[in-house]
Amino acid sequence: MFNKNKSILIVGAGIAGIQASLDLAEMGADVHLIEQKSSIGGHMAQLDKTFPTNDCSLCILSPKMSECARHPGITLHMNSSLISINGEPGNFTCKIRESATYVDPDKCVACGLCEEKCPTKVTDEFDMELRTRKAIYRYFLQSVPSNYAIDAEHCLRITKGVCGLCERACTAEAINFEDTDKEIDIDCGAVILAVGIDAFDPIVYGQYGYRKFLNVVTSLEFERMLCASGPQMGHVVCPANDKPPKNVAFIQCVGSRDRENGRNYCSSVCCMYAIKEAIIAKEHIKGLDATIFFMDVRAFGKEFDKYYRRADEQFGVEFIRSRVAKITELPGGDLRLHFAHQDGGRDTRDFSLVVLSVGLQQRKDILDFSESIDIKLNDYGFCQTADFQPLDTSKPGVFVCGAFSGPKDIPESVMSASGVAARAARFLGLKRQKKVSKKEFPPERDVVGDRPRIGAFICHCGINIAGVVDVPGVVEYAKSLQNVEYAEDLLYACSQDCMETIKQRIEEHNLNRVLVAACTPRTHEPLFRETLREAGLNQYLFEMANIRDQCSWAHMNEPELATEKAKELVEMGVAKARGVTPLQKLPVDIDPRTLVIGGGLAGMTAALTLAETNYRVFLVEKEEKLGGNLRSIQFSLGDSEPQQLLEKTIENIYNNKLITVYTGTEIKTIDGYIGNFRTTVVPLHRGGTPKELQHGVVIVATGAGEYPTEEYRYKESKRVVTQLEFEKMLHNGVFTGKPMQNVVMIQCVNSREEGRDYCSRLCCSQAIKNALVLKRERPAADIYVLYRDIRTYGLKEQYFGEARDRGVIFLRYDIDNKPTVELIDPENPNSKLHVTTIDPILGKQVVINADFVVLAVSINAPEQNRELAQMLKVPLNEDGFFLEAHVKLRPVDFATDGIFVCGLAHCPKDIDESITQATAAAARAMTVISKMVVEAEGSICEVNSELCSGCGLCVEVCAYAAAEMDEEKGIAFINEALCKGCGACAASCRSGAIDLKGFTNEQIFSAIDSLEMAEILQHSGT
Amino acid sequence: MKELVEKIRKIFSDEKLELLIGYTKGTLPLRSTPGLIESADEADKLIFDFTCCNNLAKYLVDEKKRSGNTHRIGIIAKGCDARAVVQLVMEGQFERENVVIIGVPCKGVIDPSKLRKKLNGKEIIKFKVNRDKITLFGKNFELELNKNELFSDSCLSCRYPNAVQYDYFIGEPSEPLGVRDEYASVDEFEQKLPEKRWTYFEKEYSRCIRCYACRNACPMCYCEECFVDRSTPQWIGKGNDLSDTIIFHIVRVLHTAGRCVDCGACAAACPLNIDIRMLGKRIEKEVIERFGFTPGLDFETEPAMATFKENDKEEFIM
Amino acid sequence: MKTKDFEPKIMTFLCNWCSYAGADLAGVSRLQYPTNTRVIRVPCSGRIDPLFILKCLQDGYDGVLISGCHPGDCHYISGNYVARRRFAILKTALEFMGIEPGRVQFSWVSAGEGEKFSQVISKVTEAVKVLGPMRKLVKAANSLVG
Repeated sequence: MFNKNKSILIVGAGIAGIQASLDLAEMGADVHLIEQKSSIGGHMAQLDKTFPTNDCSLCILSPKMSECARHPGITLHMNSSLISINGEPGNFTCKIRESATYVDPDKCVACGLCEEKCPTKVTDEFDMELRTRKAIYRYFLQSVPSNYAIDAEHCLRITKGVCGLCERACTAEAINFEDTDKEIDIDCGAVILAVGIDAFDPIVYGQYGYRKFLNVVTSLEFERMLCASGPQMGHVVCPANDKPPKNVAFIQCVGSRDRENGRNYCSSVCCMYAIKEAIIAKEHIKGLDATIFFMDVRAFGKEFDKYYRRADEQFGVEFIRSRVAKITELPGGDLRLHFAHQDGGRDTRDFSLVVLSVGLQQRKDILDFSESIDIKLNDYGFCQTADFQPLDTSKPGVFVCGAFSGPKDIPESVMSASGVAARAARFLGLKRQKKVSKKEFPPERDVVGDRPRIGAFICHCGINIAGVVDVPGVVEYAKSLQNVEYAEDLLYACSQDCMETIKQRIEEHNLNRVLVAACTPRTHEPLFRETLREAGLNQYLFEMANIRDQCSWAHMNEPELATEKAKELVEMGVAKARGVTPLQKLPVDIDPRTLVIGGGLAGMTAALTLAETNYRVFLVEKEEKLGGNLRSIQFSLGDSEPQQLLEKTIENIYNNKLITVYTGTEIKTIDGYIGNFRTTVVPLHRGGTPKELQHGVVIVATGAGEYPTEEYRYKESKRVVTQLEFEKMLHNGVFTGKPMQNVVMIQCVNSREEGRDYCSRLCCSQAIKNALVLKRERPAADIYVLYRDIRTYGLKEQYFGEARDRGVIFLRYDIDNKPTVELIDPENPNSKLHVTTIDPILGKQVVINADFVVLAVSINAPEQNRELAQMLKVPLNEDGFFLEAHVKLRPVDFATDGIFVCGLAHCPKDIDESITQATAAAARAMTVISKMVVEAEGSICEVNSELCSGCGLCVEVCAYAAAEMDEEKGIAFINEALCKGCGACAASCRSGAIDLKGFTNEQIFSAIDSLEMAEILQHSGT
Repeated sequence: MKELVEKIRKIFSDEKLELLIGYTKGTLPLRSTPGLIESADEADKLIFDFTCCNNLAKYLVDEKKRSGNTHRIGIIAKGCDARAVVQLVMEGQFERENVVIIGVPCKGVIDPSKLRKKLNGKEIIKFKVNRDKITLFGKNFELELNKNELFSDSCLSCRYPNAVQYDYFIGEPSEPLGVRDEYASVDEFEQKLPEKRWTYFEKEYSRCIRCYACRNACPMCYCEECFVDRSTPQWIGKGNDLSDTIIFHIVRVLHTAGRCVDCGACAAACPLNIDIRMLGKRIEKEVIERFGFTPGLDFETEPAMATFKENDKEEFIM
Repeated sequence: MKTKDFEPKIMTFLCNWCSYAGADLAGVSRLQYPTNTRVIRVPCSGRIDPLFILKCLQDGYDGVLISGCHPGDCHYISGNYVARRRFAILKTALEFMGIEPGRVQFSWVSAGEGEKFSQVISKVTEAVKVLGPMRKLVKAANSLVG
C-alpha cells in the first residue's frame, strides 16, 4: 500500500467548492482550494435572495466564505487554474497556474486608495456589466480574500507602460508590477472539480432582442439590479429610460428545454428564481405587475410549491402558460411580447422590462479544461457521471460536485459538495484528530476584574442598515454610553477587512468587551467570536445587537424611529456586554461509531461510505430485509438496473466487517448527545432481547412511502394501480401477450393540493419511465399522462421528449377540474374504466377508455417520524419530513449537533439524489467522528452551591438529565457535558442558585434596566 | 390531653426518637408555643388544642437544616402541618424515614392576628370555652365571641383538618369546619373591576414594612438566601418602594405556587394584618383547576411546577 | 394622553431558536411592524424567570411580550412546556391583581412564522396603545428623578 497523501485539490470556490473544502478540512485534510476569480463565492455571491425562504444570499454565504478563508486547513489559491493532473489516485501531482495580480495580498489592506486613482474604467463582470469598475479592483465589495488585484488586460501600466498611479497611491507598497504568472505543483490524494457553470448567453435567441433592446435583461442581470449592494442599489430602473418599470415579464426556458438549439435539458432552477425575482421585484417597486411566461412551473423541491402558491395568491404574480414567439421594441424602450395562447390564439402584451430566465450551461472553457485533465463530458458539456455514481468523474480519484455535473440549486450543490468530500476522503491518508482545532489562537488575555472597556462596532451592511438607520448617529450614541471606550461604523462588519479592523481596535484601545450591532447573532455570532479569539480575547466577551433583521428591515419606512430603536438595542447590548465574563468550553470525547437508522438505499449508502473510510457503523432496519423502496424499483430512465444496484449494495454491506446490520429491529430509546449516544434497539420478532449501542453520531435515513390513496377508484378497481404497482406488473410481464390498448396515468394524486401542499418530485419521471418501458414492449399501446405540470427537471427532460416522440400523449388538467374514473360496469370490479378529463385549454371533456389507470400517488412521510423526531429532539416540517438546520446551506444537518438526515426522510428525491445526500450525511458525520474530541457549549448552567437548598426542582425540569442531586451534600450540580444551556432550571430556581452563563440573571437585569436608566438620565438632563 | 401524652411517650421510645416537635403551653392565655421534646419524660409538657396555630413543619425543616438531617424527628401534625411535611419530603428537605408524623385531629386554630384585632391592644387574663363560644376576660372587660371569629380563615374552609399522610394518628378524625366556601372570597373579589382590585392590593401592600414575618413563618420558605436578600445581583429593591414591595409579594406567591398548603402561618405572622392569603388563594385555585394538583397529599404526584402535560391549557397564549 | 399620541415601550423576550428566528424572518421578508418593541434574546422561553417580566413593568415598560417555540417544537425539548405553566400562574396573578391582561402577553412563533411574528407585534402594540402608559407597578423612583 502506498502512502496516501493528506492533501486534496479542489477546483472552483463557489458554494460547492467552499462546502467541500470546509468538510474535508474539518476531517483533517489539507485543502488546496483554487479559484480563477480573485474572490471565492461563485455565482451565489451574485444572487440577491435565495428561494424559497428569501434569505439574503450573501448574508448566509458570507459566514461560510469567512470560515473558509480562516480555516487553518484550507489554503486558497486565487486567480488560479488547474493545468494538469498526473499520477495515481492517492498520489496525484497537479500543476496549477497562479496568474499575476500585481498586488501583494499580504501587504494589501484593501484601503481602496489605488482604486480611486486608477484612470481606467472597465465593465464589471460581477455586476453583469451593469456598471464599471477600475483596472485595479476587488471582485466585489465583500470579496474574500479582500485584497485588490490588477486586471492586466486593461491596466495602462501593463499594456502600454504608462500610468502607475496606483503604485504611487499605495502607502502599503503592495503594488508589484514585476509580478509574473507562476506554475506550481501540488501533491494531493484526490481532486474535486467544482468548476460550476455559466449563465446561458441569450444572444442566440435573436427573436428576443437581447443586447438590441436595452430593456431586455437576463435573470442574472436582474438579480444584480434587485440587489441592495448591486449597481442600482436595489432601486430597479429600466436601462433604456432610467425609469422604474411599471410591469415586468419573465420569459422562462431561455436556453433550456430547447431541442432545436441542442439544449434538451431543464436548468432546474429558473422557475424558482423567476418566482423569487418576481416576488422581490414586487416588494421593491410599488404597484409593479409581474408576469411569468412559462411552459411548466417546475417547483419540484422541498417547500417550493408553497412558495409558488404564495407568489400567485399572496403576491399576485401572474402566470401565463405560453412560449413567447418574439419581442419588439416600442418607442421609449417599452417592449411588446408576441405570444400564442394554449388554444392557438395569438396575443401581444406590452411590458417595461423583460427578464430572460436564462438557463445554466457548460463553461465556455470547459472543453479545453476537460481535455487537459482527461475527464469525459456528456452531450451538453456537463461532467459525465455514471448512473448511481453521481459524484465520480470518468477518471478515478477525480470527483465532481455542484452544477458542473448538471443543473443544481444551492442545497443540491451543497449536498453534492459534502458528498464528494466523503468520496474523496477515502483516497486521503486521514487519521482521527487529537486536537480540537488546528487553528492556533493567541493566549487569552486575562480580563477578570478589569473595568469593562467596550468596543462598539456599528455595521452599515451596505445600505441594508444604513439605508434606514442613521448609523453615524448610532455610533455617536454608543460613544456616550458608560464603559464604551471606542465606537466605529463598519461597511460590512462581517467582511474580512472589517474583522481585521475590529482586531486592530481591540489591540489599540485595549478593549475587553465587544459589541457588534449588525445582523442576527444566529448567523454571525460565531464569526465575530472567532475574531475575538484571534485578538486574544475570550470569545464570550462579545454581544450582538440585531439592528438589521429586527430593525432596519422591519421598519424601512420609519427611519427616525428605527434609529431610536437601534440606539436602544445598542444600549441594551452594551448593558449586557458590561456583565459578560470569559467562559470555557468543555472538551467532549467522541465515540467514532455511527448509528444509521433505516436500511434503504440512503441508509446503506451512508453506512458503506463511512465503513469504507474505516468507521464502524450500526445499521438498523425495521424490515426483515435491507433495501427499502429500492426493492420495488425495477427500471431506470436510462439503461442502468436498479436491482443490480440493490444487490451489489446489500452484498457490500454484508461483506464489510465494520458494519453491523440489525434487520427486523426497532429503535426503542436514544439517549445522550454528540459523541456519546446510547441507543437501545429491540428486535421485532418475539423473544428478541434489547441491545444497547454506543455511538457518536446518528444518521436518519428512515425513508418514506406511497400515500395510501383512496382516490380515482383505487380501492374499488383492480385496474387502478399505483406507479410502483404498475412497475412491478411491467417487470413481472403481466401485460405480455394480453390484450391491452389504453393506459391512463394520472399525476399529482394527493400531491400539490390542500393539506398536502408539496410536489413529490419523482412521479413525472416515474410515469415517463414506465410509459417508455411499456411503449418498448407494446409500441401500439396508447398511453395518456394526465398532468398538471411536467416536472422532468435537469437531464431528465430528454426522456420527456422521447416519450412524446414515441407517441405518449400528455394531457394537462386543472386542480379545479380533476379527472374522474368510473368503472364501465359498476357491478364488476374487474371492469375496464372510463377516465374523464377536461382539457383546460379547450374546456372540452375528453373521455378515455382505459384498461389500466396508473396513479402517481404522493410520497408520504411515515407517521413514525414523529416518534423518532421526539427521541432525537429534532423537528419535522408541516408535511412530516425531517426539517434540516438550514434549507440552503445545511441540507443534511440538524440544529442538534451530531445528527444528520438523508434520503426520502428529508424529502422526495430520486436514486442519484439519495445517494448524493447519503454520502453527504456520511461526510458531515465524518467531520465529527474524525475528531477524538469536540468542544461542548460554553454557555451552560452552573449551581452556586452556597445558595442551593436542594429542592430538586432543577432535576425535575431539566430535559437532558444534566441537573443532578449530590445526595451527600444535598445540593444540585450540573453535568457540563449534558447541559445544553436552555436555562429552564435557572428560571425555576427560587433560590437563584442556578444561573445560565452567557445569559445570567444579572446580564438580563442590566439589559432590562438599561433603558430605564437612559430615560432617567434623559429626564434629569433636560 | 392525657391520651396524647401517653401515646407520644410510647411512640418516643418505640421509634427511638431523638427529638419531637409539638406544642407546649404559652406564657399568655390563648397562646401556645412550639416545643422541642428531647425525651419521653418531657412528653407531659405537650398540649394540643385550638391555640396550636403554628405550622410545625417550619420548625422541622429548620431543625433538619440545623442538625444536618440525620436523626429521626417526630412531629405533631394537624392536616396542614402534615401536608407541609409531605411537600418538604417531596422537595428533598429530609428523608421520609427520618420523620415520624403523628397526626392529630384539628378542629380549627386561632389566628393570632384576628385575636389582636379583637383585643385592639387590650390584654386578656383568662378565657372560658363553652362549645362554639369563647369568652375572654381582661382588666375591666369581658368579651364573648363565636370561636369562628378567632379562627384562622384557612381553618374555616379547610378541607384537610386531619393529617393525610401519617405514621400515627391520635384521636378521632375531625370533620372539616365548613364554615366558608373555600374560594368564595376569591371569587367574590374577582368580580370587582380590575381597578378596584388593584387599589385593594396597593392599599394592602402599601402597609407592608418588609419585616418578612410572613416569609419567616412559612414552612415552604427555606431557601438559603431569599431572593429579596440577594445583592449580587439585586433581584428587587430593598427599600420601601411600593412596586418593590408588591413584586416581593407576587414573587413570594409564585414561589409557593403548587407548594402552599394554606396553613395560614403567613397571615397569622403579619404584624400589620395585611391580606396575604388573597393572592395565594387565587393561585392555589388556579393550580388545582389548571394542573389538577393539590400539594402535600401524597408522596407520588409530581409537584405542579416541576412537571407539565403536553396538553396543558394554553388559552392565554396568542 | 390621547391614545394616538402615546407610543408605548414594549419589551419582548424571544427564544433563540424559534421566535428570534421568526423575528429575523419577518425582517428578511421585509414585513413591516411597529417600532415599539425592544428585544432580549434568550436561549429558550424556559429561561424566562417571571421576575424578568415584573422587572420590565417596574422599569416602566408599558407591555411585555414573551414568545417561544410552539408546543413540541422546543429546541430544548420541553423548556416551553415548563415555561407555559410558569406563565399561566404569573398571568393569573397579575390579572387577579387588576393588571390589564394586555400588558403581559405570550405567543408561540416558529422560525418559519415571520408573518405571524409581525402580526403578533402589531397586535400587542395596538393593545398596549389602547391601554395607555403603564402606571401600576412602575417604580416610583422613575418619576422622582424626572
